[in-house]
Amino acid sequence: MSERGQLTTHERAASFAPRAGKPAFLARYGSVLFLLLLIGLEAGVVRFVIRDVRSANNEVQRMYASSVLGLHRIGSLQYDAQETRRSTLYALTTNDSNLQVVYADQSRGADARVTAGIAAYLQQATLPQEIELAHRLDQDWKAYLAARNEVLGLILEGSIKEAVSYDLARGVPLFDRVRVDLEETERLYDEQASQRLANVAALANKTIIRLVTVLAVTILVAGVFVWVLQKDKMASTMQMARMQMDFAASVSHELRTPLAVLLSAVDNIADGVVSGKEQLAKYGAVIRNQSRQINGLVNQVILFVSTQGGKGRYTLEPLTIAEVIEVAVTSTAELIRKAGFTLEQDIRPGLPRILGDISALSQCLQNLITNALKYSDQGRWIGIRASEEGSKDHREIRISVQDRGKGIDRAELHRIFEPFYRSKEAVAGQIHGTGLGLHIARTLAEAMGGRVSVTSEVGVGSTFTLHLPVMEDLGEPGEAVGRTVAQT
Amino acid sequence: MIRYPAIMVMILAAAALVEPLAQSRVQAARPKESLAIIVNRENPLENLSMAELRNVFLGGRSHWPNGRRITLVMMEPGQPERETLVRDVCRMSESDLRRRYLQGLLTGEVLVSPKTLASPVGVRKFVFNVPGGIGYLRPEDVDDTVKVIRIDGHLPSEAEYPLKVEERSER
Repeated sequence: MSERGQLTTHERAASFAPRAGKPAFLARYGSVLFLLLLIGLEAGVVRFVIRDVRSANNEVQRMYASSVLGLHRIGSLQYDAQETRRSTLYALTTNDSNLQVVYADQSRGADARVTAGIAAYLQQATLPQEIELAHRLDQDWKAYLAARNEVLGLILEGSIKEAVSYDLARGVPLFDRVRVDLEETERLYDEQASQRLANVAALANKTIIRLVTVLAVTILVAGVFVWVLQKDKMASTMQMARMQMDFAASVSHELRTPLAVLLSAVDNIADGVVSGKEQLAKYGAVIRNQSRQINGLVNQVILFVSTQGGKGRYTLEPLTIAEVIEVAVTSTAELIRKAGFTLEQDIRPGLPRILGDISALSQCLQNLITNALKYSDQGRWIGIRASEEGSKDHREIRISVQDRGKGIDRAELHRIFEPFYRSKEAVAGQIHGTGLGLHIARTLAEAMGGRVSVTSEVGVGSTFTLHLPVMEDLGEPGEAVGRTVAQT
Repeated sequence: MIRYPAIMVMILAAAALVEPLAQSRVQAARPKESLAIIVNRENPLENLSMAELRNVFLGGRSHWPNGRRITLVMMEPGQPERETLVRDVCRMSESDLRRRYLQGLLTGEVLVSPKTLASPVGVRKFVFNVPGGIGYLRPEDVDDTVKVIRIDGHLPSEAEYPLKVEERSER
């Protein structure tokens, strides 16, 4: 039982369907999906770009705020510090107390700006080095201001010589310390500005790398997607071409044998080799049989073509299951008899009628019976059963055709309904066929609103079941219902 | 005809003599405000007697108790504040005061000569900048950059304060 498999045509889709489900979806919506994928990727790229541009902008603004404005602040501090000292020294150049007071006032105005600037610098300092430097500058500035105040006092009280001496002894060294502090502050700002500039450059490089990477990924994904799409289409096309080649070879092979027999028979008759009524009758029978075989083959091909793409025309009418089976069995009786098969029928009484085309349904069953005949091997028995199954809401008629043949490998179950498909065993065993029978059977069943399922076990046999829906308003069995002509 | 001009001159001269008298009567009637004595805020000095203040402004003292050199600052002659100081503190005329400073500097009797500034703001800023500075201002010209000291134990806001100057609005 391990090799036993079950499959329905609904589960394993329609023409070329067993392999065409996902690829068909891709083929149909592949372009849209590809476009959406590209849009998504491009949106991602744009998002990356915007984020990086914003980061760069923020970094540049931070750089401007902390470096350019900082340098401007340091420049102002340096100028005002010099102004503080310069105004103090100006007071030395005059004996006019009024002017001396003015210079002292200017010096104090400048030192107030420096003090405020240092406080602002201290407030915005974040790095330990900055904070330490700001504190040192603040202390040195206050020390210088104390000396400056002393010098101013000496100048104003008229002690010029003492003022100069004090300034040289205390003011100059203290102011030098302030100047060094300011220079160090400026150097620190320069370093920070350089660092931030390097950060901006690194960010720009990072952005470029990201862009290139994302674009490369986009192109790669798009390429892979196109490759997969094309590969799948190519595979489908090649498979179709291979099947068509197999079909052409199979049909040619199927035609060649009867044609050869026909030609031989006709040649013999034409050459006068055949004489006598009895021999002519024998040759006539041969010609008829071979012609029928050719006719049957041609009919299969025509039927296949006519059922593709919903082109079939059907006349729907209420039918009893018995008459459908009867037509099918009658049509294949000769084949069954010649092949030496035993046909066993089990048709449950009182089965409801179905709505369908008698020709299509009987053809469907004929194909299933013919298939059983071909692949039954030594087990020359065919069982046909008809029953009503299903739930109250979903009733259906099941007509199964069972054989005791080779069975079908589980791996091939999903392919047997494909057009032109022939199993390796069939090819190897030189079993005649075009690979269309089961496909046509399934197509016809679906055209009638039904389906075909199969269960099989290698070495035991196979059962193909035709499922047909029960129509509720068709009346009791045997009751006449008007014909309906439908085109599917 | 000669008499009439002479009479006119006499009348004008009399009018010229009468006007100052009338003004002096008005001045006498005007209210007066205090004249604050200010020092640098670092100066620990809180009070001076009128005698000590006179000695300081006449150049008889060179240093404060904290060791800072005394620097006098006065407004230019002709200002009511200076007149008040010369009259009520130094108790002499402007010319006598000048003469005293000149002679005192030569003889060594005067140790400090005053700096002269043009405006009350200049005086205040001078005292603010000079640790040993001392000057005078009307109370309305004083701010917290300088310190007002008591004279004879009284602040300018008190009625017993000894230094009074005419109010600026009446001048």
